[in-house]
Amino acid sequence: MSSSPQTTSTNSAYLTNQFAHRFVRALNNLNHTKTSSHGHNQISRRTSRVKIAAYTAMASVVGSRRAWSRAVLWKIRKRSRIRSLLLRMNRKRVDHKIFNCHHHSKVMSLKRRNPNPKRQYYFNPFRNSSQESKLRKLVPGAQTMDSWCLMGETADYIKCLAAQGNNRKEVQ
Amino acid sequence: FAKKLQPHLLHFTSIMETSDGTGIPHSWNSHSISGMGIQATPNNTFFNPNCENLIDQRDLFESALSSIVSSPVNSNSGIIPIPIPGSGDSIVLRELIGRLGSICNSSDISPINGNNSATNSCYNTPLNSPPKLNLSITDHHQIPGNYPIPGNHPLPFHTDPGFAERAAKFSTFCNKKESFKTAGSQFMRIPEENKKLGDSNSNEEQPSVSETGMKGQNSNGRKRKVIPKGKGKEIQSNSTVKDDKVVAEAEKEESDAKRSKSTEPPKDYIHVRARRGQATDSHSLAERVRREKISERMKFLQDLVPGCNKVTGKAVMLDEIINYVQSLQRQVEFLSMKLATVNPRMDATMEALLSKDMFRPLVSVPNNVNPFDASVQPLPYGFQSQINGMVPDGPENQFSMNPLMAAMHRNSIMKPPHIDGFGEVI
Repeated sequence: MSSSPQTTSTNSAYLTNQFAHRFVRALNNLNHTKTSSHGHNQISRRTSRVKIAAYTAMASVVGSRRAWSRAVLWKIRKRSRIRSLLLRMNRKRVDHKIFNCHHHSKVMSLKRRNPNPKRQYYFNPFRNSSQESKLRKLVPGAQTMDSWCLMGETADYIKCLAAQGNNRKEVQ
Repeated sequence: FAKKLQPHLLHFTSIMETSDGTGIPHSWNSHSISGMGIQATPNNTFFNPNCENLIDQRDLFESALSSIVSSPVNSNSGIIPIPIPGSGDSIVLRELIGRLGSICNSSDISPINGNNSATNSCYNTPLNSPPKLNLSITDHHQIPGNYPIPGNHPLPFHTDPGFAERAAKFSTFCNKKESFKTAGSQFMRIPEENKKLGDSNSNEEQPSVSETGMKGQNSNGRKRKVIPKGKGKEIQSNSTVKDDKVVAEAEKEESDAKRSKSTEPPKDYIHVRARRGQATDSHSLAERVRREKISERMKFLQDLVPGCNKVTGKAVMLDEIINYVQSLQRQVEFLSMKLATVNPRMDATMEALLSKDMFRPLVSVPNNVNPFDASVQPLPYGFQSQINGMVPDGPENQFSMNPLMAAMHRNSIMKPPHIDGFGEVI
């Protein structure tokens, strides 16, 4: 057994570069798709956008290799889909009743298969530590994993987060 | 269980050693290791059927321990009556043995009576079960013959070549503690316990029993980290795991006791092997494997998380990891907020960043030796102009091609391009 867990991710240098690249790209995308900014919300909105961009970039670098990246990407895409749907509905100013029906149908149509299907939440009979449950909440997509996979995902997640943080600082 | 057992065993051994004389502890240890059954029972034959039955493990150990507790002196005689140990010890004993039994026992466990002698008696009863291991029987039968032979001698009753080999190995093991190369970390502890095995034991059985104990260990065999190969294979071929398990378990527990304070032997093997002193049923094995996989990952995480070298223990480590992940996520938020507030220059910044960052990977990827400061160098002119004219969210195919060209250009030229151009972009 190798000394380190699955070294599926590329080396850190390449990773950071790729991440930076995609991060900036995502930021650009976000910036140019933004609608009018509302006053005091502007910063928070932009913050969230930047944050989303960061996570998207990070997750897309890793791709589908890790469960956490899949979870992150899926969440973001779902959120964007619903958000766009809502925006569209709002713009059309559909009647309230119809809005609900349409919304529901559109949501269903937009629903895609979750790459990490949420099977039954992992019930650890030996859950003597709440730390693992905390960890599961922190690391995206780690709700349904056993401890060993959880550790691996955490390791990868930490690595990517750290690289991302460094990159952000450099970018700044 | 193992963890609970270890302190108890350690306690027990300490009790033993403190209570006994100089040579006694070792003899006790050797006794316990070598073959609870033999020491515990007045019968040599007692041991044979004992080995075969898992039920006997506990009794064996218990009786052995009890005998050791009470009368360590009897080692020389080879036959140790089973006295009733002191109350405190008996409690420890019983608890220990109970745990051992529960661990080791895959079959029905005969209840341990309050009285050790009683246990010995009931220990006798299952002994009559038909022997499972012919080899061990033959071995043990030979043992009585050589009873009065003092220790430190080659076991002359090796009719069985395998046994001979094992006995030889074991005797060498006993006599020269450190020379037992195959033992590795595991058996090294046994020598400490078995120091006087050859010396104190006039009982031929003991080495042989220890032999069988080791044999048993080895026969657990598919799961032994360090095994004298011939020994293990022979044992496996000839015997069931169970009969040796009795002794093996006892030995293991002893070694565990000794080892409870020391670090666990490193497990470098992919395949599963039961460590010495551990239970060997499949469940605990699987769990141990699982635990060790997790701990391996924890170690890796320890390297990732800065400043966690001194932290030991899973719980603390997990706390550290959680804190670190939370701090990283907060950092991302904070930096994104910072970036958001820098908004006005965002587009231009993005372009610059994009160019710079896109340049960097291409530089780093093709020429891994390129220093990064070189990457910060301004881009080739052509690239630059492209950037200036490019809509940020425009076609990025174009964009991606340019860095390539830039990189190639850079590679060919190997000369820092114009700095002023880059400044213009910024």
